[in-house]
Amino acid sequence: MKSDRELVKYCIDKMIERGAEKAQCYLKHNKKHELNVDAGEMKLLRTTFDTSILLKAIINDQKGDLKINKKDEGSIDRAVDQVIELAQSSLPDKANDIADNQPPKEFTAGREEADLDLMYDRLHDFVLYEKEHYPKTMIEQAIVDFTQSNILIQNSNGVDFAGNRGLYSSSVMFTSKEGEKASSFNYSDYASKELDKPLHEYASVDMLLKQSGEQIHTSAFPGKMVGDVIITPDCLSSFIYYITAYLSDYSLISGSSIYKDKLNEKIANDTLTLHSYPRSPEIAKNYFFTRDGFEAQNMTVIDKGVLKSFLLSQYGANKTGKPKAVNSGGCYIVEPGTAGFEEMVSSIDKGLLLCRFSGGNPSDNGDFSGVAKNSYLIENGKITKPVNETMIAGNLAEMIKNIINISKERIDYGSEIYPWVQVKGITISGK
Amino acid sequence: MIEKDISKYKDLFSEYTELRIQENRNCAISLVNGDVMGNNRISESGVSARVNKKGVWGFSSNPTIADETVKTVIKAATENALYLNDRERKSKEPLPVSVGTSEKDFMTERKRKTQKEMIDFLREIDGYIGKTYTDLTARTTVYRSLEMEKSLLTSEGSQAYSMVPRTLIYTLLNLAKDGQPFELYEIFGGFGQFENLFSKPEDLYEKIDKQYEHLKKKSEGVYPKAGISDCIFGPDLAGILAHEAIGHTVEADIVLGGSVAADYLNKEVASPIINMVDFAHTAMGKLCPVPLFVDDEGTQAKDAVLIENGILKTFMHNKESAQHFGVKPTGNARAYSFSDEPIIRMRNTAIVPGKDKLDDMIASIDDGYYLMKSSNGQADSTSEFMFGIVQGYEIKNGKLGNAIKDTTISGIAFDMMKTITMISDDMVWSCGGMCGKKQLIPVGMGGPALKCKVNIGGK
Repeated sequence: MKSDRELVKYCIDKMIERGAEKAQCYLKHNKKHELNVDAGEMKLLRTTFDTSILLKAIINDQKGDLKINKKDEGSIDRAVDQVIELAQSSLPDKANDIADNQPPKEFTAGREEADLDLMYDRLHDFVLYEKEHYPKTMIEQAIVDFTQSNILIQNSNGVDFAGNRGLYSSSVMFTSKEGEKASSFNYSDYASKELDKPLHEYASVDMLLKQSGEQIHTSAFPGKMVGDVIITPDCLSSFIYYITAYLSDYSLISGSSIYKDKLNEKIANDTLTLHSYPRSPEIAKNYFFTRDGFEAQNMTVIDKGVLKSFLLSQYGANKTGKPKAVNSGGCYIVEPGTAGFEEMVSSIDKGLLLCRFSGGNPSDNGDFSGVAKNSYLIENGKITKPVNETMIAGNLAEMIKNIINISKERIDYGSEIYPWVQVKGITISGK
Repeated sequence: MIEKDISKYKDLFSEYTELRIQENRNCAISLVNGDVMGNNRISESGVSARVNKKGVWGFSSNPTIADETVKTVIKAATENALYLNDRERKSKEPLPVSVGTSEKDFMTERKRKTQKEMIDFLREIDGYIGKTYTDLTARTTVYRSLEMEKSLLTSEGSQAYSMVPRTLIYTLLNLAKDGQPFELYEIFGGFGQFENLFSKPEDLYEKIDKQYEHLKKKSEGVYPKAGISDCIFGPDLAGILAHEAIGHTVEADIVLGGSVAADYLNKEVASPIINMVDFAHTAMGKLCPVPLFVDDEGTQAKDAVLIENGILKTFMHNKESAQHFGVKPTGNARAYSFSDEPIIRMRNTAIVPGKDKLDDMIASIDDGYYLMKSSNGQADSTSEFMFGIVQGYEIKNGKLGNAIKDTTISGIAFDMMKTITMISDDMVWSCGGMCGKKQLIPVGMGGPALKCKVNIGGK
């Protein structure tokens, strides 16, 4: 039996022997313990092991990618034959490449083993807490897991990185009911290196549970208006996802991105600074290197409203002639502003606290519309009542130019850190 | 290929146990403006066991398929169930016995195409689009296939083998008009493998020509008026309505988690002309896009008649929820990967065709919209839904008018279903997407065209 390091080297040597000019192998082992609560009851304990081996071969600028989950020599040899065939079947593209040589490194973060008894106790206590404090609210599903990942990546240019990480993750989904009336469901998820506090104290869990009970009885948003919306940290992640998609490979390669010619130009209000910080100690769910073999570095995507980096992979950068990102995106942090959340609310005569957005995929031009879920009417500087069947519409590019305030308070999800963001110019319409 | 008969492991079970050996094989090729951007294959297989002990479950999986690891995962799953049982001290009755047997291998009998042949096929399509429609700003052609192969053995005696394939080609066209970008997708294929579904690239061109025509009209189109409007939902929309807005609210685990549908059983939830079924494998005498004969708990899969003449008749169940509600399981427990446990999933959810003609339905509207294609859909435990609309037309005085630009529609499904007054007599299945719950999984969605009232987002 080969060690993992020997196996990865074997894969690369074998691909080169079979004709690859450039080769990369990525090997990952995952061991996961996962506890599940369903419909408010502790139901399931899962222990899963998995292996992923990703092979990449380039021959005459033609690329093939193959993924298997077997480590035996027969499976590896067959996989090498297949990835060579995939590459030979493809078309030449000079943008295909592998990472240049970098100094070998090994990275480690988090604990090595799950504390299963602690996971059980935390989840058990969370169920009791939720039942005691929010009796109208039902946990549809709550999951706590611990995943130990061990990753090796090497390529034929001499790249050699190893990463070992242990991480707890948790998610909870819930609905509140009273008689025949039900709230919209809501959810929260987060990651942490340790489970050193009760689960309801992570991220926005306790706040969202409290809100859920309030949202059983809702009112229509009165009329239609163009006005101010405060986007909560939970909802902001959807909009950050939409915006960063315009900065990524597909959008820029196909030429459909609204930001394709905007590098180093102002695309948002001065108050918006967006970092992608995979190496920051602030981010529990970090990563050390990219899938295309580069050591990950922290970067600022939008600095005081100016677009400072695209989120292009090596292939995307080669294809578009634009600079490659120094990481694979994610691990987003939005810098806090100076306003307090209460101050932001008190500045609005009539508007919306947007807590979740259920929308269609935004158009290429940035237009979006959808339903404001779990959201509240703001009247005369106060959050007054939860709303139902309220639609919002706007344009993403305009929206981030129209930021009025960013809160000093933020929520840490372990994978991202977001504040509340107040924007103007959003169309809000009631039923 | 995995072993079809795994009954040799039956003596390893000491508790209620499901043992599954599974392999998923994926292939993906994507061409963007003629360049091969993606060209990959994934093969993932392994063994898993799930054990029930007095109402709690243990699960374990391992990617190595061998006698030793089968023993290991059964032991680990049993220990996990005992761990929870020791702490939870539940005393639930044994699960209802439900024994199913089936062997269904839908592997093509034709000679398999090589990766090069499939890339060449896509290149021909891409070349046709590039040559014919020179004003496009971008074109994307994508091939995706999934072969899901499973062998199941349960302690109750269920034995099942299945190999169910799905193959899709997507084309995405981008156009700019007055500096504004527009895009529209089309999907080809469904149940089956490349060799059976696609013979000549030219077979796709008629639909691609229509796709371009719709895109061109959309780029010259108008924004729809916001508010409640008379609408015709095309079959794609009817399918997503059945799946997202109604289907999820009547999955029994969602019902137990607080769905509004919990209180609607045997009550009127839709117009009396509405019938809606989650078909197991066969509908109207034809095989469905995602046929399921025995589910991953070993239950013989049966159709779940969800709405009959407007009345909500049942929920979709696994064994545990069926026990809770005192009914028979419907065979809706499905797992995506070998390392996933079965959970309640839809299979082929559809509104049953009616008696009306689509042309008559359009002619019956003075001022409204024909909504044809959705980008995505989401729904809530309250049955409030939102669908992105990427293809549609105005209806003026009973005739189709201007195309509309992208918009969203929303509403409360159980209210909106009561506004349906006409149902077309045809039926179209789609299975282009993956349904996301705890796991992603392919599902079939189908329907005829519907005449209804719905809230349009407008601008």
